[in-house]
Amino acid sequence: MMGWGRGRSLRHSRLQLVLAVAAIATAVALPVVLVSVGGGVSAHELANLQNAGYQIVVSAAGLHGITHSHNYTDQILSIPGVTAASPVLSVTIDAFTHSGGTPVLAEGVIPDQFYPTLGPTESGLFPSPLPLGDPTDDVHFAHGTYSGSATYDVLVSTPYAAAHSVSVGQQLVLSPVANRSLGTTYNVTGTFGVPPTVLGPTGAFAVLVPLSDLQAMTGYAGGSAVAPDAVDTIEVAATGSIATNPSALNDLRNEVQALFPYYGVSSLTQEAQQLQSASGVLTGFYLALSSVGLSVGLLFLALVLLRRVEADRRSIGIRRALGISGRSIAGEIVWNGATLALMGAAAGVIGGYLIVEALAAWTSSAVQEAAQLAVFDPVILGELVAGVVGLSLLAGAVATRTALRMPISEALR
Amino acid sequence: MSEKSVPSIELSQVVRTYGAGGPEEVRALRGVDLTIPPGEFVSVAGPSGCGKTTLLNLLGLLDSPTSGEVRWDSESVGQKSDRARARLRLEGVGFIFQRFYLLPTLTARENVELPMRALRVPRGERTRRASQLLEEVGLQGRERAFPHQLSGGEEQRVAVARALANRPGLLLADEPTGELDSGNTQAILSLLERVRQDRNASLVVVTHNPDVARRARRHLTMRDGAVVEDVREA
Ligand SMILES: Nc1ncnc2c1ncn2[C@@H]1O[C@H](COP(=O)(O)OP(=O)(O)OP(=O)(O)O)[C@@H](O)[C@H]1O
Ligand SMILES: [Mg+2]
Repeated sequence: MMGWGRGRSLRHSRLQLVLAVAAIATAVALPVVLVSVGGGVSAHELANLQNAGYQIVVSAAGLHGITHSHNYTDQILSIPGVTAASPVLSVTIDAFTHSGGTPVLAEGVIPDQFYPTLGPTESGLFPSPLPLGDPTDDVHFAHGTYSGSATYDVLVSTPYAAAHSVSVGQQLVLSPVANRSLGTTYNVTGTFGVPPTVLGPTGAFAVLVPLSDLQAMTGYAGGSAVAPDAVDTIEVAATGSIATNPSALNDLRNEVQALFPYYGVSSLTQEAQQLQSASGVLTGFYLALSSVGLSVGLLFLALVLLRRVEADRRSIGIRRALGISGRSIAGEIVWNGATLALMGAAAGVIGGYLIVEALAAWTSSAVQEAAQLAVFDPVILGELVAGVVGLSLLAGAVATRTALRMPISEALR
Repeated sequence: MSEKSVPSIELSQVVRTYGAGGPEEVRALRGVDLTIPPGEFVSVAGPSGCGKTTLLNLLGLLDSPTSGEVRWDSESVGQKSDRARARLRLEGVGFIFQRFYLLPTLTARENVELPMRALRVPRGERTRRASQLLEEVGLQGRERAFPHQLSGGEEQRVAVARALANRPGLLLADEPTGELDSGNTQAILSLLERVRQDRNASLVVVTHNPDVARRARRHLTMRDGAVVEDVREA
């Protein structure tokens, strides 16, 4: 009878231990997943923004809305602190090899201005200086008359070059319409890489030509249909001291805005700051959400510890009866609780990590993307584990104090 | 392990009231006077609930009297701090509890080692001594068994071995042979007797077994929290 009863309570207490560890692990895994994924996603967004080589963008609502772009570019460049101002026109045109034509995304740029506005990763994808013949695009532009001679140089993206067996030194016919005979022959003077995640397969087929060439080819040089010398955006790069100083950058933004009250002028740090504070709010939200889970887990831990000490009351009484000091009894029980908490917390961190890894490996679309960006911050994880262990120490200490204070003859009953 | 000299134990006007002042107040001892000189073998008998276990707890400093005094060698120890009494118990008292009180999560040998661990006996020595004690109570080969894997009699013998682990000067045994057959009863009694003689330990045994009581030289009978008979054999 007795033997059976105690054997059962022994197994019962083991089950309690396993459950306690599992509860703590669950409580810890939740914030691990939420915080690391949330933090990873926002860090990625920030990095993307900071990866750009420009800090201010001038843009217009509507299609190819910025006119007189060469003139405006010069005006922007004359503002102190501006190191580059790069007008960019993006148009889909057709590129023909001897075996046929295909649509490509053409970007018209001023080579000397375009290159400095590339971010650190992007700039590695382009040859420097850009081999486009007319570095300032002044020759063909000829003060807005477009009467100068075009260079007829083109850079092609490596995916396009590979797909159509185009190599440097060969020729390519570029046409605004799907008709080769209306096109112009260009010399392929170089290639540039395309980061695979940024552009889809179609966008990977791209060519880069001098701005005036593309404007003239597509009618954006001016004419009855569209405004003269049009581009989509002008990207502005500032000196390092301004680029890293939000208020100085904002002043610069205001100066640019003053030039073009009718165009949108935004600074990327503004966006970055907005994103940063938004991600701060988001992280806080994640933490709040997961702290609910954590508190439930800790509450459970405290309950389990209290219950264990309650169940251990007899054991504590026996030890005390034998003359073992309260301090060493308390030490043992608190130590057991802390070990339990540490095991649970460690299991939670590992579990959370595995969950994120599993999400990254086995799910699809947005969930997978987010999981793949997860960042495991050792500081946050360490604080989490330390907090759990600390709380268990506290709970164990309180519970043990109670058990050590009652008379031994009572504890033994 | 230092062997303390065996104290002369004196109870004067000892009262122990459980739940004093409460609705379920129990006067377990109602003014006991008793002196036990070193090396004496005392048996205690009396009806259930008369206060025998309570008396042992007070003799062994497990409990403090509600009033009256407990003295060891004329020094008042009954009201000492929990910590001081714990130390005296650890170093000088061996309890064989009525309900054994083995720790369920420890093996037989670990249970026996427990007091020696608290006394900081080196591991090798305490393992050796624990095995030897278990052998003396006839439990060789059962060292690794947990209490729930042992029979009542085996548990009782582990409890005996544990009570002897700290070489106590005062052995307090509450029905130590209640679960044992006559063969084992005689073996355990011989062991306790030998330990008593080896170091002139005092031995107080609560028992209703005449075979056990017969070995004692002094016989106490209790009733309603009082010692009503105290017979010393010549
Ligand atoms: N911790 C306690 N709290 C309250 N009452 C107690 C406590 N311990 C013992 N008692 C009561 O005190 C009285 C004496 O108990 P004690 O255990 O000393 O009796 P006993 O002579 O050992 O009995 P038994 O032969 O049944 O073991 C009993 O009425 C018991 O119910
Ligand atoms: Mg009793």
